[in-house]
Amino acid sequence: MPDFKSEIRRSIAGLNLPPTYEEEIVEELSQDLEERFEEALSHGASEQEAEQLALNELTPAGALGDQLKQLKPRAPKPTPPMGIQRSRSRFAGFWDDVRFGLRMLRKQPGFAVVAILTLGVGIGASTAMLSLVRDVLLRPLPYAHADRLYAIWASSESSGQSQVAASGPDLIDYLEQNRSFAHLAGYIPLFTFTWTGDGEPKLVNCTSVSEQFFGMFGIKPYLGRLYEPREYTYLENDTLIVSYRFWKNQLGGDPNVIGRVVHFEGVSETIVGVLPPMSDLFPNTDVWPKHTVRPSWPYMKWRGNKFLRVVGELNPGVTPAMAEEDLKAILRRAPEEPRDLRVHLVPLKEDLVGNVRLPLYATLGAAGLILMVACINVAALLLARMVKREGEIAVRLSLGAGLRRIAQQLVTESLLLSAIGCTLGLMIAWAVLRLLVRVPNLPLPRMDNVHLNGPALLSTIASASAMTILFGWMSSVGFSRLNLSSALRPRGLQTTGRRGLSLALLVTGEIACSVVLTVSVCLLVHSFWRVIHVNPGFQPRSLLRVYLRTNYYDEKGRAFWKGVLTETASLPGVRHVAVSDWRPGRDAATATFVFEDRPNEPTRLPSGEGSWVSDDFFRTVGTPLIAGRFFTEHDDDNAPAVVMINDEAARRFWPGENPIGKRIGVNYTGPGRRSEVAPRLREIVGVVGNVRHDSLDAPAAPAVYLPYLQDETNHDMATMSLFLRADGNVMALADSVRNRIHQLDSNQPVQNIQSVADLVSQSVATRRYTLILVGAFAGIGLLLAAVGVYGVISYTTSQRTREFGVRIALGATRGNVVSHVLRSGARLTVLGSLVGIAGALIIARSLSALLFEVGPFDLWSFVGAVGILAAVSIFACLVPAWRASRVDPTVAMQTE
Amino acid sequence: MAMPLSDRELKKGSAELLILSLLEDRPRHGYEIGQLIELRSRGALRFNVASFYPLLYRLEKRGWIRGRWVEKAGQRRRRYYRLTRGGRKILEAQRHGWRDFVEAIGRITGIEYA
Repeated sequence: MPDFKSEIRRSIAGLNLPPTYEEEIVEELSQDLEERFEEALSHGASEQEAEQLALNELTPAGALGDQLKQLKPRAPKPTPPMGIQRSRSRFAGFWDDVRFGLRMLRKQPGFAVVAILTLGVGIGASTAMLSLVRDVLLRPLPYAHADRLYAIWASSESSGQSQVAASGPDLIDYLEQNRSFAHLAGYIPLFTFTWTGDGEPKLVNCTSVSEQFFGMFGIKPYLGRLYEPREYTYLENDTLIVSYRFWKNQLGGDPNVIGRVVHFEGVSETIVGVLPPMSDLFPNTDVWPKHTVRPSWPYMKWRGNKFLRVVGELNPGVTPAMAEEDLKAILRRAPEEPRDLRVHLVPLKEDLVGNVRLPLYATLGAAGLILMVACINVAALLLARMVKREGEIAVRLSLGAGLRRIAQQLVTESLLLSAIGCTLGLMIAWAVLRLLVRVPNLPLPRMDNVHLNGPALLSTIASASAMTILFGWMSSVGFSRLNLSSALRPRGLQTTGRRGLSLALLVTGEIACSVVLTVSVCLLVHSFWRVIHVNPGFQPRSLLRVYLRTNYYDEKGRAFWKGVLTETASLPGVRHVAVSDWRPGRDAATATFVFEDRPNEPTRLPSGEGSWVSDDFFRTVGTPLIAGRFFTEHDDDNAPAVVMINDEAARRFWPGENPIGKRIGVNYTGPGRRSEVAPRLREIVGVVGNVRHDSLDAPAAPAVYLPYLQDETNHDMATMSLFLRADGNVMALADSVRNRIHQLDSNQPVQNIQSVADLVSQSVATRRYTLILVGAFAGIGLLLAAVGVYGVISYTTSQRTREFGVRIALGATRGNVVSHVLRSGARLTVLGSLVGIAGALIIARSLSALLFEVGPFDLWSFVGAVGILAAVSIFACLVPAWRASRVDPTVAMQTE
Repeated sequence: MAMPLSDRELKKGSAELLILSLLEDRPRHGYEIGQLIELRSRGALRFNVASFYPLLYRLEKRGWIRGRWVEKAGQRRRRYYRLTRGGRKILEAQRHGWRDFVEAIGRITGIEYA
């Protein structure tokens, strides 16, 4: 008998087993080998052959040792520092899971692509919007005490004005009498200056400020110095501070710019300072001139001339309400002010950001809904996929895998999915923001600083991890009850069951979200349609507007403007020309009215819009005459004073009467206008149709029109626009118009030449962009809902293949089957739509401020949205329905 | 166990099942178990000593089977293995699962089985 014992001992020697244990193993195994040896001999093998046969059982060399090593009772090890051993082994398992998850995704590329795209779009849209909202609306102004900075406005119900700026005397009263503010300053934002004598004539944007303005914001000069206090105390001085952007773009970033002389408005000014870049405070400003409060320009002395914006920094501990009371009392003490005057403090950030809050939040809401739809969609996809994987999981469970292990695997897989989805989402968000920042004329402030930001990033990560937990949990739930026999049993007669129900619930939620989105879009579309179909009261097409800022402040301007009219009227294709200070698409200048035929309460004069126009103005812009006559070239200084009014003014001030021949006085109160004497009475010679002076969606206000040659103050000589009506493409006239004007005055900047149609469409830009964004989100939402409906219906129909086979075998027509499947899709849609309509009824109310002539409960929008959704979901059901109707009964039965 | 069903798992799983089944009626020693597997599978399945005994020890360590040295008169002592109560339960479950698995495989691959 060969010595098998020593052979076995050799192969397990390295294991250092306990001696008795080792001896037992040697004994048991050597017995086995000896039996084999003997058996081989009894079958006629030679002794060597038999020994070799037995020894082969121990091959490959080392196999026995390896196998036993895993069983060896472990010697106690020193405790590793703080769970290192544990986490390492978990980590290793994690990477296995990641690799496995990647393999699973590669195996089902369709699923992977849809899920990742869905997540990416949802996360991308919401991250981008969140970044936008944060940077535009929420990010505090970068100034010390930013929370104490307020814009100050007045309002008076009796005069119908809700946001009145301050006049020079108001500001002086505030400065002298207030007890609430640490700093208080007046400013005039973004008006234009002509810049001549330093190359090509240009227009520059100015924001003029009074003393304390720069100090309030803690602005330090980038180069040179700020204005000194004494420079605010005399009128004629020639120092100027320019913005960083102007210095960089127009002055070439010259480091020796301090002391350089430039010519604005025909006056030489010396640059004494350059401000740092300021993206939050009128970033389009080129130069920052100062204005004095006392002594002040003559037009600042009139209390009714409310054109100064006021900003103040509250003293610590003073609330806005206290300051409002303080300032209200000051204003009411002044003569000629309405008794019901009130003062409002608006946080400065809100004031600067303006009216984009609601559109932005609406868009953010839409993006949030998209994220929700995306999550639901991916959850539904995962759930449906899990059902397909039940077999795999069941086999693994039965082979000894722990439930926790399986759950860990599933969570890792969904983590993988959301990690890829998040990455894609961040890329999409980044791209969307890059795109948004570049959109020209985007009506959003503070866009310079918009970028993918930390909080938005964090919330993305938060939502992604929430999704991971949700998905993992959702897909592993139910496996605890899974047993192999049921999982592997053919599912032909089984109803769709619990998972089917969860799927249906998910899709119902998805449809509900999509209904909310679609209703919102329908409301916005309906409003937009109403807005662009508003009759503006003039013909914006084929109308050119040339903004002209001149240096004329007196009668000399008349020759210039007459020259402009004559020169341009003779251009080929031009039919009518006119000049006016009317600014289509912008707010109109305000005027107050004094009536000859009734007593006038000086503090409660009705107000409206006022414009200076040349005689051919209405024919040029295309506004119809309703009564009386148009102005003529004879309505000048030598003729009786005349005025035209619009239909709204006639209706409001002379209801049921003919206003022609009545006389009114007009206080023209636009910025920088002075009226120290009572206005002269003018005879109404004509009534024209209402013109939408500012935006299309604002209601028509009473308006008056005055011949520009009858402007005794000559204020509007400085700034008016030339309007040309011509055949064909009006923009083609731009160059010849510029040439003609330069022939008259080579120093005249002719920069802003625009078609009025563009100006008008800019006035609805916020509306349009809101519509585009929310519409895009709704489109994505619909697509996702369609994918969801398709996924669920095709999953449930594939589960019922046998049932359909039986039905067809029993005589159901293909049409029956199709309609059966469509009905189950329709049930989901109806249920989801009902929930969605309920949601939309709540959401629509908050949208109402964005709507125009459309109620929040607009029937057409609701019907339209549900119709669109129904069409989409029926479409999504068609493929599975068709597939179900193609089931071959024999094949379907055989799958049992 | 992170991976899906691999060959090794399959073989290991099946070997466990085989061993447990053979111990269902009465205790047997290792050589006998090995012989029976080979015999009843008509030579299709066989495990060599180097992997078979460690498998036995593993099952023992899990508490599914218990080995005991038995001395009979005139014979040298041998280690007999018997099924524990826990092992019986596992056998039941595995048998069940295995049947379903095989059925499933059969359905997919179209192999008929007796």
